[in-house]
Amino acid sequence: MLGASLSWLEMLRFITIVLVFKEYVVLALLVILSLLILGANDNTQIRAIRSYTVGAVGILQSALSVIPNVVQLKRENEVLHQLTVNLSDEVNRLREARLENLRLRAMLGLKEHATFTLAAAEVVGKSLHLLRNTITVNVGENDGVKPDMPIISESGLVGKIIVTSRQYSIGQLMLNKDFRASAKIQRSRVDGIIAWDGGDYLRLQNVSKTQDVKEGDVVTTSEYSGTFPRDIKIGFVSKTSEKPGNLFLDIDVIPSVDFPSLEQVFIITAVKDTERVAIEKKFIRTK
Amino acid sequence: MSRHVKYVFITILLTVIQTQLMRLLTLEGITPDILTIWIVYIALREGQLPATVWGFGIGLFFDLVTGNFVGLSALTKTICGFIAGYFYNENKTSLTLGSYRFIVIVLIVSLIHNTVYFIIFTQGSNIGLVRAVLQLGFATTCYTATLTLLPMFAFARKYIS
Repeated sequence: MLGASLSWLEMLRFITIVLVFKEYVVLALLVILSLLILGANDNTQIRAIRSYTVGAVGILQSALSVIPNVVQLKRENEVLHQLTVNLSDEVNRLREARLENLRLRAMLGLKEHATFTLAAAEVVGKSLHLLRNTITVNVGENDGVKPDMPIISESGLVGKIIVTSRQYSIGQLMLNKDFRASAKIQRSRVDGIIAWDGGDYLRLQNVSKTQDVKEGDVVTTSEYSGTFPRDIKIGFVSKTSEKPGNLFLDIDVIPSVDFPSLEQVFIITAVKDTERVAIEKKFIRTK
Repeated sequence: MSRHVKYVFITILLTVIQTQLMRLLTLEGITPDILTIWIVYIALREGQLPATVWGFGIGLFFDLVTGNFVGLSALTKTICGFIAGYFYNENKTSLTLGSYRFIVIVLIVSLIHNTVYFIIFTQGSNIGLVRAVLQLGFATTCYTATLTLLPMFAFARKYIS
């Protein structure tokens, strides 16, 4: 009831204002009507006026754009924020792709220069905090993988296959207490056995104190190994020391492979020289 | 006959004169505008509101008859009627129409009318703003004001007698 009265009052007030300023109201209406009729023309004058109007509106908008529009700024901020998140995500993915690209290029280079047959594999499982560390790779018997086949990466020796299934294999890493491989110092051709005792580094064992071994020497697989091809990089000597009453040097070797970041590897699918293995076994039995 | 019906007939007659006969009085491309004089007369006789409406009606009729830039005369003559309405004085209508005041009012109203008209009309052409206002607008205004002498003398003679 009160609302209806108010609306009537407002209506009356509006009518009163219109009547008081009726000349101006009529003028405004007729000018608007004239302009609408004018706008319906399509001649040179109207096209020119439209052009000026667009220019004037542009200048006005440009001038008004100096005044910050809080709502628009907030919306723009949200859009930019979303864009930043998307771009950041894209940068991360591109960075990841670049690193993967670099790794794959290095591996491709290795594969092209290798003299033996390689099967590419992805590491799908890994343990690095045990005494017998292993990796699981996504190639198996179907790919021609068998136990004792060496595992390498573009950086050097990784380990060897110990168990296979049809599609997967488990590899014994060099960081495994059971791992052994014949190795040598590349510079001085000194032989030894590479092993791991659970510490931070690999150990080059059975090298007598009189042998020429220096820090920084590169360690590779030797031709004495029946499992690993010769001259695959293992790492480099980080420290040599002697213990009283011991015939051998203590040699720490830093592995060339970065095991925590290991993602792609190659399996050398070359078969062992069975004749050589057989004669060596026979000799050992007869001794 | 109602006064407004009479205005309609006079408007038709003056529109015919403006479109058909006034070209005979054209000097250097300048033609006097008798419809402006007619709207000023209506404003002085009837007041601002009727003059505004009549201005619009006369202008639109003229536009439709000539078919040239429809809406332009409607706009300018609406303004013309509104401004002329400011000089309306119910008690001095005869005195104003029969004196130089009529010419002065026509001069003012016509100047505004022609300024607006020629500014819009010369858009998109090679005629500049100054030439549009001073040469076309002002010359037409002077010519129209001069022509106002005829009705002014007629009204002076009628009301004095």
